Amino acid sequence: MLKTIIDNIYAFFSDIWQGIIRFDLWRTFAWDEVQQRYRRSIIGIAWIVLSYGIFVAGVAVFFTPLSGHDPRYFVAYVAIGYAAYIFLVGNIVDGCSVFTSSQIWIKSVNIPYSVYVYQSIFRSIVILLMHMVVCFLIIAFTVSGIGINAFQSLVALMVFIFNAISIQYFLGLLSARMPDISHLVTSFSRLLIFVTPIIWVREGLTGSRAFIADFNPLTHYIEIFRAPLLGQEPRLTSWVVVLVLTAVSWILAVIASVLMRRKLPFWI
Amino acid sequence: MENSYLRVDSVSITYPLFNRARSTLAVASTMEDGPEPMAADAQLVRDRKGRICAIRALSDISFAIEGGERVAILGRNGSGKTTLLQVLAGIYPPQTGTVTAKGTATSIVNINLGMRGEATGHRNITLRGLASGRSRPEIEAKRDEIAAFSGLGEFLHLPVETYSAGMRMRLNFAIATAFDPDILILDEWLSAGDAEFQKLAGKRMARFVSSAGILVLASHSRRLLEQNCERAIWLDQGRILADGPIMDVMKEYDSMGSLPRKAAR
Repeated sequence: MLKTIIDNIYAFFSDIWQGIIRFDLWRTFAWDEVQQRYRRSIIGIAWIVLSYGIFVAGVAVFFTPLSGHDPRYFVAYVAIGYAAYIFLVGNIVDGCSVFTSSQIWIKSVNIPYSVYVYQSIFRSIVILLMHMVVCFLIIAFTVSGIGINAFQSLVALMVFIFNAISIQYFLGLLSARMPDISHLVTSFSRLLIFVTPIIWVREGLTGSRAFIADFNPLTHYIEIFRAPLLGQEPRLTSWVVVLVLTAVSWILAVIASVLMRRKLPFWI
Repeated sequence: MENSYLRVDSVSITYPLFNRARSTLAVASTMEDGPEPMAADAQLVRDRKGRICAIRALSDISFAIEGGERVAILGRNGSGKTTLLQVLAGIYPPQTGTVTAKGTATSIVNINLGMRGEATGHRNITLRGLASGRSRPEIEAKRDEIAAFSGLGEFLHLPVETYSAGMRMRLNFAIATAFDPDILILDEWLSAGDAEFQKLAGKRMARFVSSAGILVLASHSRRLLEQNCERAIWLDQGRILADGPIMDVMKEYDSMGSLPRKAAR
């Protein structure tokens, strides 16, 4: 019994590693997928940048007066926060279908399952980087006093990716067995945009809204990425919450794969 | 390469159904002239309420294939041929028993699987090559050979979704065999090719097996199996009924395959 568990844990980490070294495979798959979405359009994947620019401009016009903040600060705040939000929530939602949407491949070639996870994450990274093009343009014009501390955001991004691996693996296995998980996650993800400080600012709030924001893990994930790019120092609490949740997500992924990994091809 | 092998030791595979089937399915009525009903009760796993909850696709399968052997898998529809190939290819981990393989395996279990319909033929050569663990330079070195063998010419610049079944099969076969796998696992669709292609494919398989590779081929085409294999494994209801020289197994299959199931036991 114990030996089976240890074997399964070993198999999981070996899958994670064997997938990483197939870099060329998932990078190519992901890039194909991104381009596929914009096939036959004239400006192609430049749409990702353009549509994000349009979104940020719209928010800037409508919400800046409501927010009561300095417009220059608020536009950068929304642009960076929403880009991080799309990446984080996108990884949760994509995670639910990471294996089911690749069932054709899973049932025809014997390659590590983590390849599909990396493929999905790489696709989100491409989109995040294109959104960041818009963000950096805005930062260049609005944020002053941005310094070496901005590199903290790069560390935050690495932590995001590290989390995305375990979360997608975990949710992918879980919703291969129970398709309802995927619908449940989608339902909640619609609500998240309202309870996460993206088009509203948490600082200076008291009462239930501040409590909800602090209770919501996404607040902390976004904080460690956004604050340094705005020339601020993220709260230590945020880093602590993120690191604890990262550990939890990896433990969940290990447990799920011990219980379910070998059954995956039979479930999808 | 020289001593590749495949060893299968008391492997069983059961497909769980979950909520897919909730029929209480009483005794299936057998029509006088109709064919024998497909899954016999022995293969259906029922829960306490008598509902079907799983299908036992393979039961207690054991055999060994040594390097240089060409093995045919035969049996009726639903006898477990494709499942067995997927187990041999390492796609399904067996729930009980073990499969040990030495050598790199390439499988084409279903013609539509493992191809991206919206990508061009050339792009699919790259993707399939990467998926079977080859580097880009290795793929580029083989590209012309694959293109020539597939005989698709300019069609390789078009999306695979515009191909006919036969064309897909040609491309799939060309890619799968190009990278000199030690173990080649092919499902029945090979019979979708025309006579000229089957001859080409046969030649290629023969050359491949002469270098001590293993070929496992499932098909309903008697001619295809007899031309390319020397040993046959006959599957019925997920069990091995016979395993031996192809001519002997074929004779047995022909004489008993048409008889009612119970007599075949």
